[in-house]
Amino acid sequence: MQQIIDFIIRKKDVVVYFILLSLSLALILNSNYFQKSKVLLLSNNISNYTKENLNFFNEYFKLKEVNFQLSKENLDLKNKLEKTNINKGLDSLRNLNFSYKNAKVISNNLSSFKNKIIINKGSNDGVKSEMGVISSNGIVGIINNTTPKFSSIISILNIEMKINAKVKRTKHFGTLEWDGFNTRHLMLNDISETANIKVGDTIVTGGMSLIFPEGINIGIVSEIINQNEFNDSVVRFVGNINKAKYLDFEFKENYLNVEVKLHNDISNLNNVYIIESFNKQEFQKLKE
Amino acid sequence: MASVYLLILKRFIFFTLLQGLIFNNFDFFDIYDPYICLVFLITFPIKINKITFMIISFFFGFVLDLYSDSIGINAAACLSIAFLRSYILSFVFGSFYDPHGVKLIKNYVTESTFSQKFLYLSSVIIIHHLIIFSLETFSFNFISLVIYKTLITFSISLIFCTTFIYIMIENEK
Repeated sequence: MQQIIDFIIRKKDVVVYFILLSLSLALILNSNYFQKSKVLLLSNNISNYTKENLNFFNEYFKLKEVNFQLSKENLDLKNKLEKTNINKGLDSLRNLNFSYKNAKVISNNLSSFKNKIIINKGSNDGVKSEMGVISSNGIVGIINNTTPKFSSIISILNIEMKINAKVKRTKHFGTLEWDGFNTRHLMLNDISETANIKVGDTIVTGGMSLIFPEGINIGIVSEIINQNEFNDSVVRFVGNINKAKYLDFEFKENYLNVEVKLHNDISNLNNVYIIESFNKQEFQKLKE
Repeated sequence: MASVYLLILKRFIFFTLLQGLIFNNFDFFDIYDPYICLVFLITFPIKINKITFMIISFFFGFVLDLYSDSIGINAAACLSIAFLRSYILSFVFGSFYDPHGVKLIKNYVTESTFSQKFLYLSSVIIIHHLIIFSLETFSFNFISLVIYKTLITFSISLIFCTTFIYIMIENEK
Protein backbone atom coordinates (compact mmCIF):
# COMPACT_ATOMS: atom_id res chain seq x y z
CA MET A 1 0.00 0.00 0.00
CA GLN A 2 2.79 2.38 0.94
CA GLN A 3 4.50 1.64 -2.36
CA ILE A 4 1.37 2.42 -4.38
CA ILE A 5 0.95 5.78 -2.64
CA ASP A 6 4.64 6.53 -3.20
CA PHE A 7 4.27 5.66 -6.87
CA ILE A 8 1.25 7.97 -7.26
CA ILE A 9 3.07 10.83 -5.51
CA ARG A 10 6.11 10.32 -7.73
CA LYS A 11 4.02 10.25 -10.92
CA LYS A 12 1.50 12.91 -9.87
CA ASP A 13 1.95 14.84 -13.15
CA VAL A 14 0.80 11.85 -15.16
CA VAL A 15 -2.14 11.19 -12.84
CA VAL A 16 -3.36 14.80 -13.07
CA TYR A 17 -2.88 14.71 -16.85
CA PHE A 18 -5.02 11.63 -17.31
CA ILE A 19 -7.75 12.89 -14.96
CA LEU A 20 -8.04 16.16 -16.93
CA LEU A 21 -7.77 14.36 -20.28
CA SER A 22 -10.61 12.00 -19.41
CA LEU A 23 -12.66 15.01 -18.30
CA SER A 24 -12.19 16.71 -21.67
CA LEU A 25 -12.87 13.47 -23.57
CA ALA A 26 -16.08 13.05 -21.57
CA LEU A 27 -17.06 16.58 -22.62
CA ILE A 28 -16.38 15.77 -26.29
CA LEU A 29 -18.28 12.48 -26.27
CA ASN A 30 -21.30 13.80 -24.38
CA SER A 31 -21.89 16.79 -26.64
CA ASN A 32 -23.48 14.99 -29.56
CA TYR A 33 -25.68 16.52 -32.18
CA PHE A 34 -29.38 16.81 -31.36
CA GLN A 35 -28.55 16.67 -27.68
CA LYS A 36 -28.86 19.69 -25.49
CA SER A 37 -25.78 20.15 -23.37
CA LYS A 38 -25.57 22.67 -20.60
CA VAL A 39 -22.07 23.72 -21.59
CA LEU A 40 -23.23 24.83 -25.01
CA LEU A 41 -26.03 26.81 -23.41
CA LEU A 42 -23.49 28.56 -21.20
CA SER A 43 -21.19 29.17 -24.13
CA ASN A 44 -24.02 30.63 -26.16
CA ASN A 45 -24.73 33.08 -23.39
CA ILE A 46 -21.13 34.20 -22.87
CA SER A 47 -19.51 34.24 -26.28
CA ASN A 48 -22.50 35.08 -28.44
CA TYR A 49 -23.13 38.40 -26.75
CA THR A 50 -19.60 39.54 -27.50
CA LYS A 51 -19.91 38.23 -31.05
CA GLU A 52 -23.25 39.98 -31.52
CA ASN A 53 -21.78 43.29 -30.40
CA LEU A 54 -18.86 42.85 -32.79
CA ASN A 55 -21.29 42.05 -35.61
CA PHE A 56 -23.06 45.36 -34.98
CA PHE A 57 -20.04 47.14 -36.47
CA ASN A 58 -19.28 44.60 -39.15
CA GLU A 59 -22.79 44.87 -40.59
CA TYR A 60 -22.20 48.43 -41.75
CA PHE A 61 -19.40 47.37 -44.05
CA LYS A 62 -21.62 44.79 -45.73
CA LEU A 63 -24.69 47.00 -46.21
CA LYS A 64 -24.13 47.63 -49.91
CA GLU A 65 -23.83 43.94 -50.74
CA VAL A 66 -26.85 42.99 -48.63
CA ASN A 67 -29.00 45.63 -50.30
CA PHE A 68 -28.02 44.31 -53.70
CA GLN A 69 -28.89 40.73 -52.73
CA LEU A 70 -32.24 41.71 -51.27
CA SER A 71 -33.29 43.72 -54.31
CA LYS A 72 -32.33 40.82 -56.56
CA GLU A 73 -34.39 38.46 -54.46
CA ASN A 74 -37.36 40.86 -54.53
CA LEU A 75 -37.21 40.84 -58.31
CA ASP A 76 -37.21 37.05 -58.40
CA LEU A 77 -40.19 36.85 -56.04
CA LYS A 78 -42.17 39.39 -58.08
CA ASN A 79 -41.56 37.39 -61.22
CA LYS A 80 -42.76 34.24 -59.47
CA LEU A 81 -45.87 36.00 -58.21
CA GLU A 82 -46.79 37.00 -61.75
CA LYS A 83 -46.60 33.44 -62.94
CA THR A 84 -48.79 31.86 -60.24
CA ASN A 85 -52.50 31.85 -60.81
CA ILE A 86 -54.16 33.80 -58.02
CA ASN A 87 -57.64 32.49 -58.76
CA LYS A 88 -56.65 28.90 -58.06
CA GLY A 89 -58.39 28.67 -54.69
CA LEU A 90 -59.72 31.07 -52.15
CA ASP A 91 -58.70 28.98 -49.12
CA SER A 92 -55.20 30.22 -48.45
CA LEU A 93 -54.42 27.54 -45.85
CA ARG A 94 -55.40 24.54 -47.95
CA ASN A 95 -52.18 23.89 -49.79
CA LEU A 96 -49.87 25.43 -47.24
CA ASN A 97 -46.98 23.07 -46.54
CA PHE A 98 -44.11 25.27 -45.41
CA SER A 99 -43.74 28.57 -43.61
CA TYR A 100 -40.65 30.79 -43.47
CA LYS A 101 -38.98 32.85 -40.75
CA ASN A 102 -36.07 35.19 -41.30
CA ALA A 103 -32.96 35.33 -39.12
CA LYS A 104 -29.53 36.92 -39.05
CA VAL A 105 -26.18 35.11 -38.89
CA ILE A 106 -24.12 35.91 -35.77
CA SER A 107 -21.13 33.62 -36.11
CA ASN A 108 -20.02 31.59 -39.09
CA ASN A 109 -16.73 29.77 -39.03
CA LEU A 110 -15.46 27.48 -41.79
CA SER A 111 -12.18 26.33 -40.28
CA SER A 112 -13.53 23.16 -38.66
CA PHE A 113 -14.43 19.84 -40.28
CA LYS A 114 -17.84 20.06 -38.60
CA ASN A 115 -18.86 23.65 -39.17
CA LYS A 116 -21.64 25.32 -37.28
CA ILE A 117 -23.47 28.59 -37.89
CA ILE A 118 -25.21 30.52 -35.10
CA ILE A 119 -28.24 32.71 -35.79
CA ASN A 120 -30.16 35.18 -33.65
CA LYS A 121 -33.53 33.38 -33.44
CA GLY A 122 -34.18 30.74 -30.81
CA SER A 123 -36.94 28.74 -29.20
CA ASN A 124 -38.66 31.99 -28.12
CA ASP A 125 -39.33 32.61 -31.83
CA GLY A 126 -40.59 29.08 -32.44
CA VAL A 127 -37.41 27.61 -33.88
CA LYS A 128 -37.02 23.89 -33.22
CA SER A 129 -34.32 21.38 -34.08
CA GLU A 130 -34.33 19.62 -37.48
CA MET A 131 -35.77 22.60 -39.36
CA GLY A 132 -34.15 23.44 -42.69
CA VAL A 133 -32.32 26.72 -43.30
CA ILE A 134 -31.87 28.39 -46.70
CA SER A 135 -30.55 31.69 -47.97
CA SER A 136 -31.70 33.59 -51.04
CA ASN A 137 -29.23 31.62 -53.22
CA GLY A 138 -29.54 28.06 -51.93
CA ILE A 139 -29.50 25.77 -48.95
CA VAL A 140 -27.44 26.51 -45.82
CA GLY A 141 -28.02 23.69 -43.33
CA ILE A 142 -30.25 22.14 -40.69
CA ILE A 143 -31.00 23.47 -37.18
CA ASN A 144 -29.23 21.42 -34.55
CA ASN A 145 -29.67 23.02 -31.16
CA THR A 146 -31.73 25.91 -29.80
CA THR A 147 -31.53 28.16 -26.77
CA PRO A 148 -34.16 30.83 -25.93
CA LYS A 149 -32.40 33.49 -28.02
CA PHE A 150 -30.00 31.68 -30.35
CA SER A 151 -29.84 28.49 -32.35
CA SER A 152 -27.01 26.62 -34.02
CA ILE A 153 -27.12 25.22 -37.54
CA ILE A 154 -25.15 22.27 -38.90
CA SER A 155 -23.86 23.80 -42.10
CA ILE A 156 -23.81 21.88 -45.39
CA LEU A 157 -20.02 22.22 -45.07
CA ASN A 158 -19.84 19.41 -42.52
CA ILE A 159 -18.27 16.03 -43.27
CA GLU A 160 -21.10 14.17 -41.54
CA MET A 161 -23.93 16.00 -43.33
CA LYS A 162 -25.87 14.08 -45.97
CA ILE A 163 -28.59 15.81 -47.96
CA ASN A 164 -30.98 14.27 -50.44
CA ALA A 165 -30.72 16.01 -53.83
CA LYS A 166 -31.71 15.36 -57.43
CA VAL A 167 -30.78 16.40 -60.94
CA LYS A 168 -33.48 18.75 -62.17
CA ARG A 169 -33.47 17.59 -65.78
CA THR A 170 -33.29 13.80 -65.41
CA LYS A 171 -34.89 13.44 -61.91
CA HIS A 172 -32.13 11.11 -60.65
CA PHE A 173 -31.63 11.10 -56.87
CA GLY A 174 -28.32 11.20 -55.00
CA THR A 175 -26.67 12.19 -51.72
CA LEU A 176 -24.78 15.45 -51.23
CA GLU A 177 -21.59 15.35 -49.14
CA TRP A 178 -18.71 17.70 -48.37
CA ASP A 179 -15.06 16.76 -49.00
CA GLY A 180 -13.64 18.78 -46.06
CA PHE A 181 -11.67 21.40 -48.00
CA ASN A 182 -13.43 23.02 -50.91
CA THR A 183 -16.02 25.51 -49.67
CA ARG A 184 -17.52 26.23 -53.10
CA HIS A 185 -18.12 22.62 -54.17
CA LEU A 186 -20.03 19.61 -52.85
CA MET A 187 -19.98 16.01 -54.07
CA LEU A 188 -23.16 14.32 -55.26
CA ASN A 189 -22.75 10.56 -54.79
CA ASP A 190 -24.85 7.44 -55.36
CA ILE A 191 -26.19 8.42 -58.78
CA SER A 192 -26.57 5.45 -61.08
CA GLU A 193 -24.22 5.24 -64.05
CA THR A 194 -27.08 5.03 -66.54
CA ALA A 195 -28.13 8.60 -65.72
CA ASN A 196 -27.31 10.85 -68.62
CA ILE A 197 -25.83 13.75 -66.66
CA LYS A 198 -23.92 16.55 -68.37
CA VAL A 199 -21.74 19.36 -67.07
CA GLY A 200 -23.99 22.36 -66.44
CA ASP A 201 -27.07 20.50 -65.21
CA THR A 202 -28.92 22.09 -62.29
CA ILE A 203 -29.04 20.28 -58.94
CA VAL A 204 -32.07 20.91 -56.70
CA THR A 205 -33.26 19.54 -53.34
CA GLY A 206 -35.07 16.21 -53.53
CA GLY A 207 -37.91 16.88 -51.11
CA MET A 208 -37.87 13.37 -49.66
CA SER A 209 -37.44 14.31 -46.01
CA LEU A 210 -39.74 17.36 -45.61
CA ILE A 211 -36.84 19.32 -44.09
CA PHE A 212 -36.43 21.21 -47.36
CA PRO A 213 -39.24 21.75 -49.85
CA GLU A 214 -38.69 20.19 -53.24
CA GLY A 215 -36.89 22.15 -55.93
CA ILE A 216 -34.70 24.65 -54.08
CA ASN A 217 -31.63 25.46 -56.15
CA ILE A 218 -28.34 24.09 -54.84
CA GLY A 219 -25.86 24.44 -57.67
CA ILE A 220 -24.73 23.22 -61.07
CA VAL A 221 -22.68 20.20 -62.14
CA SER A 222 -19.08 21.28 -62.68
CA GLU A 223 -17.28 17.95 -63.07
CA ILE A 224 -18.23 14.29 -63.48
CA ILE A 225 -15.63 11.97 -62.01
CA ASN A 226 -15.17 8.70 -63.81
CA GLN A 227 -14.32 5.92 -61.44
CA ASN A 228 -11.82 4.16 -63.73
CA GLU A 229 -9.90 7.37 -64.17
CA PHE A 230 -9.72 7.75 -60.43
CA ASN A 231 -8.08 4.38 -59.92
CA ASP A 232 -5.15 5.53 -62.04
CA SER A 233 -4.94 8.84 -60.27
CA VAL A 234 -4.13 7.18 -56.96
CA VAL A 235 -0.74 6.52 -58.52
CA ARG A 236 -0.53 10.16 -59.59
CA PHE A 237 -1.43 11.28 -56.07
CA VAL A 238 2.05 12.51 -55.24
CA GLY A 239 2.14 14.67 -58.34
CA ASN A 240 -1.37 16.03 -57.96
CA ILE A 241 -2.17 16.84 -54.34
CA ASN A 242 -5.59 18.21 -55.31
CA LYS A 243 -6.86 14.71 -55.86
CA ALA A 244 -6.29 14.03 -52.16
CA LYS A 245 -9.76 15.34 -51.44
CA TYR A 246 -11.34 12.48 -53.36
CA LEU A 247 -9.52 9.82 -51.33
CA ASP A 248 -12.04 9.68 -48.54
CA PHE A 249 -15.06 8.97 -50.69
CA GLU A 250 -16.40 5.53 -51.29
CA PHE A 251 -16.23 4.81 -54.99
CA LYS A 252 -18.87 2.18 -55.62
CA GLU A 253 -19.22 0.29 -58.86
CA ASN A 254 -21.90 1.45 -61.28
CA TYR A 255 -22.35 4.74 -59.49
CA LEU A 256 -21.32 8.22 -60.60
CA ASN A 257 -19.60 10.84 -58.44
CA VAL A 258 -20.50 14.36 -59.48
CA GLU A 259 -18.90 17.59 -58.30
CA VAL A 260 -21.48 20.34 -57.74
CA LYS A 261 -20.62 24.03 -57.78
CA LEU A 262 -22.73 25.85 -55.18
CA HIS A 263 -24.76 28.96 -56.01
CA ASN A 264 -24.43 29.87 -52.36
CA ASP A 265 -21.29 31.37 -50.81
CA ILE A 266 -21.42 30.01 -47.25
CA SER A 267 -18.48 32.17 -46.14
CA ASN A 268 -20.51 35.31 -46.83
CA LEU A 269 -23.93 34.80 -45.26
CA ASN A 270 -26.08 37.53 -43.73
CA ASN A 271 -29.79 36.88 -43.92
CA VAL A 272 -31.13 33.32 -43.80
CA TYR A 273 -34.62 31.85 -43.79
CA ILE A 274 -35.78 29.05 -41.50
CA ILE A 275 -38.28 26.61 -43.02
CA GLU A 276 -40.99 25.09 -40.86
CA SER A 277 -42.90 22.13 -42.27
CA PHE A 278 -46.53 21.67 -41.25
CA ASN A 279 -46.92 18.08 -42.38
CA LYS A 280 -43.84 16.65 -40.71
CA GLN A 281 -45.57 14.65 -37.95
CA GLU A 282 -48.06 13.18 -40.38
CA PHE A 283 -45.23 12.21 -42.72
CA GLN A 284 -43.18 10.57 -40.00
CA LYS A 285 -46.17 8.56 -38.75
CA LEU A 286 -46.59 7.13 -42.25
CA LYS A 287 -42.89 6.31 -42.47
CA GLU A 288 -42.98 4.21 -39.29
CA MET B 1 5.90 35.27 -7.65
CA ALA B 2 2.64 37.21 -7.58
CA SER B 3 3.79 39.35 -10.49
CA VAL B 4 4.30 36.18 -12.58
CA TYR B 5 0.71 35.10 -11.98
CA LEU B 6 -0.49 38.61 -12.86
CA LEU B 7 1.46 38.38 -16.14
CA ILE B 8 -0.11 34.97 -16.85
CA LEU B 9 -3.59 36.35 -16.16
CA LYS B 10 -2.99 39.27 -18.54
CA ARG B 11 -1.74 36.95 -21.28
CA PHE B 12 -4.62 34.53 -20.65
CA ILE B 13 -7.24 37.23 -21.29
CA PHE B 14 -5.29 38.77 -24.18
CA PHE B 15 -4.75 35.52 -26.09
CA THR B 16 -8.28 34.15 -25.61
CA LEU B 17 -9.78 37.37 -26.94
CA LEU B 18 -7.23 37.58 -29.78
CA GLN B 19 -7.87 33.99 -30.88
CA GLY B 20 -11.61 33.95 -30.28
CA LEU B 21 -12.57 37.25 -31.84
CA ILE B 22 -9.93 37.92 -34.50
CA PHE B 23 -7.96 34.84 -35.55
CA ASN B 24 -10.93 32.43 -35.55
CA ASN B 25 -12.41 34.61 -38.31
CA PHE B 26 -9.15 34.85 -40.23
CA ASP B 27 -10.25 32.34 -42.90
CA PHE B 28 -7.12 32.00 -45.02
CA PHE B 29 -8.33 30.28 -48.24
CA ASP B 30 -11.77 30.10 -46.54
CA ILE B 31 -10.97 27.24 -44.15
CA TYR B 32 -7.53 27.65 -42.55
CA ASP B 33 -7.19 29.56 -39.26
CA PRO B 34 -3.82 30.22 -37.59
CA TYR B 35 -3.66 29.14 -33.94
CA ILE B 36 -2.00 32.17 -32.35
CA CYS B 37 -3.12 30.92 -28.91
CA LEU B 38 -0.15 28.53 -28.93
CA VAL B 39 2.14 31.49 -28.10
CA PHE B 40 0.59 31.43 -24.61
CA LEU B 41 1.68 27.82 -24.11
CA ILE B 42 5.07 28.19 -25.82
CA THR B 43 6.16 31.20 -23.77
CA PHE B 44 4.61 30.07 -20.48
CA PRO B 45 7.12 30.69 -17.61
CA ILE B 46 9.12 27.53 -16.97
CA LYS B 47 9.55 28.00 -13.21
CA ILE B 48 5.83 27.42 -12.62
CA ASN B 49 4.86 24.01 -11.27
CA LYS B 50 3.83 21.52 -13.97
CA ILE B 51 0.48 20.63 -12.38
CA THR B 52 -0.48 24.32 -12.14
CA PHE B 53 0.56 24.73 -15.78
CA MET B 54 -1.66 21.82 -16.84
CA ILE B 55 -4.69 23.13 -14.93
CA ILE B 56 -4.25 26.66 -16.29
CA SER B 57 -3.88 25.44 -19.88
CA PHE B 58 -6.91 23.17 -19.51
CA PHE B 59 -9.04 26.20 -18.63
CA PHE B 60 -7.32 28.21 -21.37
CA GLY B 61 -8.43 25.59 -23.90
CA PHE B 62 -11.88 25.47 -22.37
CA VAL B 63 -12.37 29.24 -22.85
CA LEU B 64 -11.20 28.87 -26.47
CA ASP B 65 -13.78 26.10 -26.90
CA LEU B 66 -16.56 28.47 -25.86
CA TYR B 67 -15.59 30.76 -28.73
CA SER B 68 -15.34 28.03 -31.36
CA ASP B 69 -18.44 26.04 -30.24
CA SER B 70 -16.47 22.82 -29.88
CA ILE B 71 -16.64 21.50 -26.36
CA GLY B 72 -13.47 19.90 -24.96
CA ILE B 73 -11.39 19.71 -28.16
CA ASN B 74 -9.14 22.72 -27.54
CA ALA B 75 -9.01 21.83 -23.84
CA ALA B 76 -7.63 18.35 -24.60
CA ALA B 77 -5.08 19.71 -27.09
CA CYS B 78 -3.80 22.51 -24.82
CA LEU B 79 -3.63 20.12 -21.86
CA SER B 80 -1.57 17.62 -23.84
CA ILE B 81 0.85 20.37 -24.93
CA ALA B 82 1.24 21.43 -21.29
CA PHE B 83 2.01 17.83 -20.33
CA LEU B 84 4.44 17.21 -23.18
CA ARG B 85 6.26 20.57 -23.15
CA SER B 86 8.92 19.68 -20.58
CA TYR B 87 9.79 16.51 -22.53
CA ILE B 88 9.98 18.45 -25.80
CA LEU B 89 12.16 21.14 -24.18
CA SER B 90 14.63 18.65 -22.71
CA PHE B 91 14.72 16.72 -26.00
CA VAL B 92 15.32 19.80 -28.17
CA PHE B 93 17.56 21.94 -25.94
CA GLY B 94 19.40 19.12 -24.18
CA SER B 95 21.60 20.33 -21.33
CA PHE B 96 20.66 23.96 -22.02
CA TYR B 97 17.17 23.30 -20.61
CA ASP B 98 16.88 23.67 -16.84
CA PRO B 99 13.63 22.45 -15.27
CA HIS B 100 13.83 24.90 -12.35
CA GLY B 101 13.36 27.89 -14.60
CA VAL B 102 16.36 30.08 -13.77
CA LYS B 103 16.62 30.92 -17.47
CA LEU B 104 13.80 32.94 -19.01
CA ILE B 105 12.13 32.34 -22.34
CA LYS B 106 14.11 35.35 -23.60
CA ASN B 107 17.35 33.40 -23.06
CA TYR B 108 16.01 30.43 -25.00
CA VAL B 109 15.23 32.68 -27.97
CA THR B 110 18.52 34.57 -28.01
CA GLU B 111 21.01 31.86 -27.07
CA SER B 112 19.86 28.84 -29.07
CA THR B 113 20.51 27.90 -32.69
CA PHE B 114 17.98 28.28 -35.49
CA SER B 115 17.34 24.54 -35.81
CA GLN B 116 16.59 24.23 -32.08
CA LYS B 117 14.03 27.04 -32.19
CA PHE B 118 12.45 25.62 -35.35
CA LEU B 119 12.24 22.09 -33.91
CA TYR B 120 10.67 23.30 -30.65
CA LEU B 121 8.04 25.47 -32.35
CA SER B 122 7.18 22.98 -35.07
CA SER B 123 6.86 19.97 -32.76
CA VAL B 124 4.53 21.88 -30.40
CA ILE B 125 2.41 23.16 -33.31
CA ILE B 126 2.19 19.83 -35.15
CA ILE B 127 1.22 17.86 -32.02
CA HIS B 128 -1.42 20.45 -31.13
CA HIS B 129 -2.94 20.49 -34.62
CA LEU B 130 -2.94 16.70 -34.95
CA ILE B 131 -4.82 16.35 -31.66
CA ILE B 132 -7.34 19.06 -32.57
CA PHE B 133 -8.17 17.78 -36.05
CA SER B 134 -8.27 14.10 -35.15
CA LEU B 135 -10.56 14.77 -32.17
CA GLU B 136 -12.74 16.90 -34.43
CA THR B 137 -13.33 14.11 -36.95
CA PHE B 138 -13.13 11.34 -34.31
CA SER B 139 -12.89 8.51 -36.85
CA PHE B 140 -10.17 6.72 -38.80
CA ASN B 141 -11.98 7.17 -42.11
CA PHE B 142 -10.83 10.77 -42.49
CA ILE B 143 -7.16 10.25 -41.61
CA SER B 144 -5.82 11.65 -44.90
CA LEU B 145 -7.98 14.79 -44.49
CA VAL B 146 -6.51 15.28 -41.00
CA ILE B 147 -2.89 14.98 -42.15
CA TYR B 148 -3.41 17.24 -45.17
CA LYS B 149 -5.09 19.94 -43.09
CA THR B 150 -2.52 19.67 -40.30
CA LEU B 151 0.36 20.36 -42.70
CA ILE B 152 -1.24 23.43 -44.26
CA THR B 153 -2.46 24.93 -40.97
CA PHE B 154 0.97 24.20 -39.44
CA SER B 155 2.76 26.37 -41.99
CA ILE B 156 0.38 29.30 -41.38
CA SER B 157 0.52 28.97 -37.59
CA LEU B 158 4.32 28.73 -37.63
CA ILE B 159 4.67 32.06 -39.44
CA PHE B 160 2.24 33.86 -37.15
CA CYS B 161 3.60 32.37 -33.90
CA THR B 162 7.23 33.14 -34.82
CA THR B 163 6.38 36.73 -35.66
CA PHE B 164 4.40 37.16 -32.49
CA ILE B 165 7.10 35.72 -30.22
CA TYR B 166 9.73 38.04 -31.71
CA ILE B 167 7.43 41.04 -31.19
CA MET B 168 6.93 40.01 -27.54
CA ILE B 169 10.68 39.61 -26.95
CA GLU B 170 11.46 42.97 -28.58
CA ASN B 171 8.88 44.68 -26.36
CA GLU B 172 10.37 43.19 -23.20
CA LYS B 173 13.76 44.74 -23.98
